[in-house]
Amino acid sequence: MAEKKEARIGVFVCHCGTNIAGSIDIEAVKEYARTLPNVVHADDYQYVCSTPGQTMIADAIKEHDLTGTVVAACSPRLHEPTFRMATKVGGLNPFRFEMANIREQNSWVHMHDREGATGKAKDAVRIAVAKASLLEDLIPKSVPVEHAAMVVGGGVAGMQAALDLGNAGIKTYLIERSPTIGGRMSQLDKTFPTLDCSQCILTPKMVDVGRNENIELMTYTEVEEVEGYIGNFEITLRKKARGVLTPEEAEARGIVGGGCNGCGDCVDVCPVIKGNEFEFEMAPRKAIYIYHPQVVPNLYTLDFNTCIKCGLCVEACGDKKAIDLEMVDELIKVKVGTAILATGYDLFPIENKTEWGYKKYENVITGLEFERLICASGPTGGHLVRPSDGETPKKVAFVLCAGSRDNTGVGKPYCSRFCCMYSLKHAHQIIEKIPGAQPYLLYMDIRSFGKMYEEFYYRIQDEGAKFIRGRVANILEDPVTKNLHVFTEDTLLQRPIDLEVDLVVLASAVQPTAGADAVRKLFGVSCSQDGWMLEAHPKLNPCGTTTAGVFLAGVCQGPKDIPDTVAQAEGAASAASIPIHRGEVELEPYFAQCIEEKCAGCGMCVNLCPYSALALVEKDGKKVMEVTEAKCKGCGTCGGFCPGGAIHMQHFTTPQIVAQIDAFLLGGEQ
Amino acid sequence: MAREKDYGNPSLEAKLKDRYYYSDDTNRDFTKEVEKIGRTIAHMCYQCGTCTGSCPSAPRSSYRIRLFMRRAVLGLEEEALTDPDLWLCTTCYSCTDRCPRDIAPTDVIMAMRNLAARRDIVPRNFLKTVQAIYTTGHGVPNNDVNRAARVKLGMDAEPPTTCGFPEYIEGIKAIIDHYGLKDRADKILSEGE
Repeated sequence: MAEKKEARIGVFVCHCGTNIAGSIDIEAVKEYARTLPNVVHADDYQYVCSTPGQTMIADAIKEHDLTGTVVAACSPRLHEPTFRMATKVGGLNPFRFEMANIREQNSWVHMHDREGATGKAKDAVRIAVAKASLLEDLIPKSVPVEHAAMVVGGGVAGMQAALDLGNAGIKTYLIERSPTIGGRMSQLDKTFPTLDCSQCILTPKMVDVGRNENIELMTYTEVEEVEGYIGNFEITLRKKARGVLTPEEAEARGIVGGGCNGCGDCVDVCPVIKGNEFEFEMAPRKAIYIYHPQVVPNLYTLDFNTCIKCGLCVEACGDKKAIDLEMVDELIKVKVGTAILATGYDLFPIENKTEWGYKKYENVITGLEFERLICASGPTGGHLVRPSDGETPKKVAFVLCAGSRDNTGVGKPYCSRFCCMYSLKHAHQIIEKIPGAQPYLLYMDIRSFGKMYEEFYYRIQDEGAKFIRGRVANILEDPVTKNLHVFTEDTLLQRPIDLEVDLVVLASAVQPTAGADAVRKLFGVSCSQDGWMLEAHPKLNPCGTTTAGVFLAGVCQGPKDIPDTVAQAEGAASAASIPIHRGEVELEPYFAQCIEEKCAGCGMCVNLCPYSALALVEKDGKKVMEVTEAKCKGCGTCGGFCPGGAIHMQHFTTPQIVAQIDAFLLGGEQ
Repeated sequence: MAREKDYGNPSLEAKLKDRYYYSDDTNRDFTKEVEKIGRTIAHMCYQCGTCTGSCPSAPRSSYRIRLFMRRAVLGLEEEALTDPDLWLCTTCYSCTDRCPRDIAPTDVIMAMRNLAARRDIVPRNFLKTVQAIYTTGHGVPNNDVNRAARVKLGMDAEPPTTCGFPEYIEGIKAIIDHYGLKDRADKILSEGE
């Protein structure tokens, strides 16, 4: 530690244009700062974060021989790194800087109380100066970064991220819960607005993922446990028993030329029939199955929950010996430097909005069910039919905002963002495939915000789709014909409508996948109030999270269409590759330290630590606590608890915190 | 305020009436007043039409609850309180059940009726209902058809309400008198004649 000398603090008050100056008397705060103990310099500036503002700090450090700096401005979450850098440029240790938040926690919330806000700003500055006077030099710790990454979720987001990482030369584990990659996009028939066949553009990518030598594809696998920190995540994976061996696994067991080659002979003999989840159970599968012919890896899966272990498939498989009826789950540990979460979405259970009759009326289906029914590889070979009687529907109603933009507590308050566009596409598809068909789109607003989206809206209207501006109030079924009566108001005509149609398609809201919450918690990622995973900053860091080394891609962060999903996946891959390519990361030096002469070795802190960073060790014949600095997040749980006061929390020491409290409670009079 | 025109021909004038609405037609206090009485967030309406689509009155009348919601949002007090459709709501609460913005349009209507009544704008049948309750305790008093039906079904001719216990009508009268409702109804009805 540097030689102790009298604290000399410089205070810089930021106007932030009128953000702060509009409701706080900057001059008064600055003059007040000059009266505080240890303050030898105080100044103000329009935007302290700007180049001249930062130069002002650096120059003042040299000119006034400062030992610490205080900037009264915005939240440390925004500009703490900025001002630390300015402090460093001035020749001080960057941790000799303290921030007083007089914007987010003051001027913005006390906009109409100038006097009160100014008083509060003075308090904040006084408290910050008290801490700044006691700050110490800290040296950030560097840790090496494992040259590998993990991507959780094998939809289009996860696949793109894994491909980018793999192509950048990084060993990448792509983890997928279901037996194949492809995700939601592989269930779609066509994509808007270009009307590309979804499978045609996706399957080549799936094959690329399977072939990429840097990608280790692990399907039918889930994340079980996450330990460690950026650069050094130790992740335990549960490889679920799929009952079928890959050729490599077979070879490892000494079966030469064996393993599953995807021939499907096992399926023909399997006597168990179940609903295929991929087809929303509108088509059957066997207990040994693949979702569809394009699966990657081309490997069958045995559903142990329904298998009766008759052994017929083992016989059919013959010499390949690919089927193992006694297979059990396997736990695998891998080490990675960074991770990307791409867990995607599920449909909101739209039957909860009882007025639309989903699961009550046969001819009310969801948009994703429509995709399978209109898809050539779907259960009906691409012939759209009514579930009740197999007839071709002529009049089809599309219910938009089904469960989205709903503040009742039943649905979702947000806009699900892609339903307008896929409903337009659905309208196009029935006009194209069914002569004389009439689609009705019942909408509140058509949100065609993307590139070529508004043009697509124009095209579908030109093709003859009818747009009725009104949210559907309720749907009733004719019990004889199974036709549906859709009730709404044509708000533009100001008349209530009873619209009789053959089929209703609900553009259901989307929500995070069932497993997303568990994965999120394992990686220490927060969620926003709408339930989607929380990005580090909504504008300037949409791929990052508040957990260093963990990134987000695709719909798990919030509803987005395919172009946005792919773009974010590439962004996340780029962000996740940076620490890996640098080879090491700096950790903030906020870790706890054990003062060994005070430590009684009671070990109570060890169990309290939420990050398993503490351990008892033998030193000089005495038991003392030891901190694994890279694991410690500086939360202070141990330091606050230690009965002997033996734990030193760097940057949040007891004297520093006590000085802050004193400065607040005693006011100016110390 | 609408601009005056003079074509010297009343029917033409009615046809060519200025239909703009002007910013000074709106009264922000009206929105607040409606929300205070109705205890609901009327200003959050986004005009989706679920209310009118749910309304059993709409297909049979000119009543459009969504239009009243719009008037509440914009503070169109005059237009809301003088529109006779205001009184066509059956208060079934279907719109309130289904409103995606969790507003209670029914309570907005009830608040507007309150405000209209303060200005003595109430349809005659509603006032006559007040008189009927005052004298019989019922909005729809018992009648001979009803009595015969009740007897046929094996019930007493008079139900166990103020019909069967007329001595309690005094209590009902006391409540109505407390608010001066009957006197106001009488007054408005007599002025209208």
